[in-house]
Amino acid sequence: MRVRRFSVIRIRSLEHLFDLAEKGMTNPYFLAGGTDLLIKIKDDLLIPPFTVLDISGLQELRSIHFEQDYVRIGSLVTHGEIEKHPELRLLFPSLTDACHGVGSPQIRNRATIGGNIGNASPAADSIPPLYVYGAELHLVNSKGERWVKIEDFFTGPGKTIRNPVEIIKEIRIPAEKRDYGTYLRLGQRKALAISKISLALAGKKKNGSMEDVKIALGAVGPTVIMAVETSLYLRGKELSSEVIKEAGNIIEKEAEPITDLRSSKEYRKKMCSTLLVKALTNWKQVA
Amino acid sequence: MSDLINLNFTVNGEKKHIKLDPSMTLLEILRNILKLTGTKEGCGKGECGSCTVLLNGKAVNACLVIASQLEEAEIITIEGLGKGEEIHPIQKAFIEEGAVQCGFCIPGMIMSAKALLDENPHPSEEEIKWGISGNLCRCTGYSKIVSAIEKAAKER
Repeated sequence: MRVRRFSVIRIRSLEHLFDLAEKGMTNPYFLAGGTDLLIKIKDDLLIPPFTVLDISGLQELRSIHFEQDYVRIGSLVTHGEIEKHPELRLLFPSLTDACHGVGSPQIRNRATIGGNIGNASPAADSIPPLYVYGAELHLVNSKGERWVKIEDFFTGPGKTIRNPVEIIKEIRIPAEKRDYGTYLRLGQRKALAISKISLALAGKKKNGSMEDVKIALGAVGPTVIMAVETSLYLRGKELSSEVIKEAGNIIEKEAEPITDLRSSKEYRKKMCSTLLVKALTNWKQVA
Repeated sequence: MSDLINLNFTVNGEKKHIKLDPSMTLLEILRNILKLTGTKEGCGKGECGSCTVLLNGKAVNACLVIASQLEEAEIITIEGLGKGEEIHPIQKAFIEEGAVQCGFCIPGMIMSAKALLDENPHPSEEEIKWGISGNLCRCTGYSKIVSAIEKAAKER
């Protein structure tokens, strides 16, 4: 494949980035893992002139820190690193499962969590788990910094509130242990398929009843959505077959998916129910 | 377009100092500049795995890495697996199991197998399938490839 040459700046530090930002740039795009951006460039989806800011060398965005209240994941941590991290699996199994299913081993070794978030695909696998675990994003630019809740970040497919030279520095997730977490997805095949529908669930129990169950759905709307009504229904209930079945009915009504080239609306609605029933049944079995 | 950058990296144990356009892909560097044509180009978009190489010990698609990301990188390609005239045990196992038909996917397949066995020396059949899930083969039906990787793991 003949690849068009394009303008790239290797970013040496955040200060370097901020200096460049102050001077002004034409259509800047961040290159982290490159597994989405380089394909867009090859497919001529970016209209020249544009400048690629290669941030992949910023070591300070590559680490994972466990603190008393939060786990902080640098935006350049790869899906492969998350997938294989034993402590992250204990706290956030839904995120581990999601990262495990992204692309292929080769893609997971390059693709970063910050890139997955910044790219803002409604079908992105790492995002629904970040919703259920209440993640926040640390956005930084030359003017200052801000913390944004993950659900306030996305405004549509590929669209976010991020300014062009604002960088996602890290993702912080409350270090709260749940009783169960899972991520289920349906795609054309297991590897290298974009999710047709996905469901992240994390929940706690108290005295045998579900206390706090969070459910997020991917690829059913312009952004990831939380199944709020279904969560409310589950609160305080035991994990019985009847409850699971009814929760499946509620989520089918609650979800408002669209028809696109990967799936029809009707199929997606049914599968929201199927995935939730599967997730809750799995939980019942391990509990 | 960008100015050329001075790049220092290692390919198959050999240090390289080259001036390159930072937007050039690792695949173009390997095939067109270094003439290491064992690494194949299939889709050019990270779907087929034909261009799989090891970058700092990890399997990556060479078509989705650009020069600007390669400073101080260590790259191993299919040409770097054997020792002199002696081929690598994974290559030997592929031949013995008849895992090669047209052969186009094989360099990438073997690099994925190498990355898998380096990390997990005794994988299950499922783990092998998952390990090569980023590599497409249109001839073999995969079963002989899986057998070859099992054989290579046993003989390590």
